[in-house]
Amino acid sequence: MKIIVFIQQIVSTQVKLQGVDYFDASRVSDDDLVINPTGKNAIEGALKLKDSQGAEVTAVCVRGIKPNKALKEAIAMGCSNAIEITDEAFYTDDPYLLAKIYAKALEKIGEYDLILLGVDEQSTSSYAAPAMLAEMLNVPSVLTAEEMEMIDSGFRVGHVLEGGKKIVEVPQKALISCSDSQYFIPRYTTMRGILAAKKAVIPIWSAADLGLETSKVNVDAASLKQISLSNIVIEKETFLINEGEPEEMVDKLLAKLKEDEVKLGA
Amino acid sequence: MKILVFIQIRDDKVEENTLGILNKIKTSIQGVEIIGALLGKDLKDRWIQELGLHGVQQVVTATAPELEVFLSATYTKAMMKIINNVNPRFVVAAGTVYGEDLIPRLAVRSNTSCAQRFVDFTVEGDGLHFHTPVRDDQAMKVTQVVGDIIFATSRPGAFFVDENPTGTAPNVTNVSVTFDDADRLVKHVEIKKAERTVNLKDAKVIVAAGRGVAGKENFQIIRELADLLGGQIGATRACTDVHWVEETYEIGQTGQSVSPDLYIAAGISGAPQHMSGVKAKTLIVINKDEGAPIINYADYAIIGDMHTILPILKEKLK
Ligand SMILES: Cc1cc2nc3c(=O)[nH]c(=O)nc-3n(C[C@H](O)[C@H](O)[C@H](O)COP(=O)(O)OP(=O)(O)OC[C@H]3O[C@@H](n4cnc5c(N)ncnc54)[C@H](O)[C@@H]3O)c2cc1C
Repeated sequence: MKIIVFIQQIVSTQVKLQGVDYFDASRVSDDDLVINPTGKNAIEGALKLKDSQGAEVTAVCVRGIKPNKALKEAIAMGCSNAIEITDEAFYTDDPYLLAKIYAKALEKIGEYDLILLGVDEQSTSSYAAPAMLAEMLNVPSVLTAEEMEMIDSGFRVGHVLEGGKKIVEVPQKALISCSDSQYFIPRYTTMRGILAAKKAVIPIWSAADLGLETSKVNVDAASLKQISLSNIVIEKETFLINEGEPEEMVDKLLAKLKEDEVKLGA
Repeated sequence: MKILVFIQIRDDKVEENTLGILNKIKTSIQGVEIIGALLGKDLKDRWIQELGLHGVQQVVTATAPELEVFLSATYTKAMMKIINNVNPRFVVAAGTVYGEDLIPRLAVRSNTSCAQRFVDFTVEGDGLHFHTPVRDDQAMKVTQVVGDIIFATSRPGAFFVDENPTGTAPNVTNVSVTFDDADRLVKHVEIKKAERTVNLKDAKVIVAAGRGVAGKENFQIIRELADLLGGQIGATRACTDVHWVEETYEIGQTGQSVSPDLYIAAGISGAPQHMSGVKAKTLIVINKDEGAPIINYADYAIIGDMHTILPILKEKLK
């Protein structure tokens, strides 16, 4: 089985905003650059299949400041190989253009069985890329998966649903977006993986390599345009207790609650 | 402006985020024509009347056995038929699991993109500006969809339902749609409905735990604290999904919405899908990670191990 996992690299949301220019590459350190969390869940989904069925897992990263770092981590987790797709012209804040690039990448990759992606991407809060890609490729798809199981005809997948969970079956050639459920909790990198990642030569494909005219995927081509991006200032001031022995911390909390006249009972 | 709203039915009623969008449209856009797209196997007149009451002037229906439950292929096909029939300027759905699945597909079929998870929009010229919180709600991004047709989803919990709707009965038209084997590649097996045995809506105090609780047995201390404070327990989907606690206690977009005076959140990271269901007067957080998004919402936060802090808290409260 050949599995393609699309990941993205983002500035970790652990890095707090100190202005609107947080996309400014010079302001973030390498440690701040992480695989989008649900992208990592998708890698885990692929590796589970690799472990149980044997599969070739290719991680593909289109979005990010240093995609190579994200892809090395993917290999260190256990992915078989990786492809970086980078072009200065790309405008990937628009999920429609991102999905177009994904579709072209798949064309160049050629054969594949299963496509996995993360449910969302935090720097745009967008859930759209997986659905858009499925539609462009016209492959059967399930979004927001929480667990998956191989069956004769393909996969049985449980996905998130308001008020419960829904179970569906998809053929093996399918697209599935993976959520942050227990089933998809990503594994740690292994020593063996880290060594493999060190040695791995990760190819870089440009728009031209994909046969994509940059005018079709650049900022001018976007139909989702950004008007502005600004900090959300939460008026709340947090009384933060981050030092002391546990008992002191609790005492400090209770004293402050008393001072503020917060009622602790119903 | 002609607006097509994808109508979602849940528990035999028009789902409340959909009603919230209708309210938002009515109160912020002038001279609108609101059209509801209602798909299903058996549609009830009661739903149609409710839509009219909430401002829908026309309901376009599509009925077929294949539309009994939402599946991407059949719903996309039927919605495209309705879109071509109605020719709307703006197509919108509540950003539920189904809404987020459907809208991007309709956008692709219309050769355009979509805005997602908006918590507000404003009319700008003949277009719309959408406000979407990004990066775990640290920043607000404002976007616009250019082109003849605009697609977007709202974020669940973003809008209030009109409590005193005064609309009248809508016109109803129907489009016919047929399906073939290519539309049936994804098969529906079942919906496992979470049993809602406990209503958390009126709870004044909730002690909630997330994945940090690390196991079923550790919910004991959560229950004890809740009892001590005369409140209820709550949980994230991370806990209910693996049955550490009964599903009824799930709070958030896919669980219950709560508005207690006091919410104690232990071992919860603060994912937007969880936080959208929590409106608490006072939020106390216990988390070992000072960078967890939930700290931004906290009134009080202890950075530490919940397994050590909670027993001490319990003893001191006794
Ligand atoms: C469409 C959709 C809908 C969803 N709807 C919901 C919903 O309605 N409700 C919901 O809850 N989720 C929902 N989710 C899931 C949501 O995205 C998150 O995955 C989930 O809320 C995470 O739960 P969590 O905070 O418990 O776990 P995590 O995000 O894993 O966070 C665990 C937290 O515990 C802390 N921690 C760990 N150990 C300790 C310790 N010993 N002491 C103190 N702190 C500790 C960690 O620092 C971390 O902050 C939905 C997802 C999707 C895709």
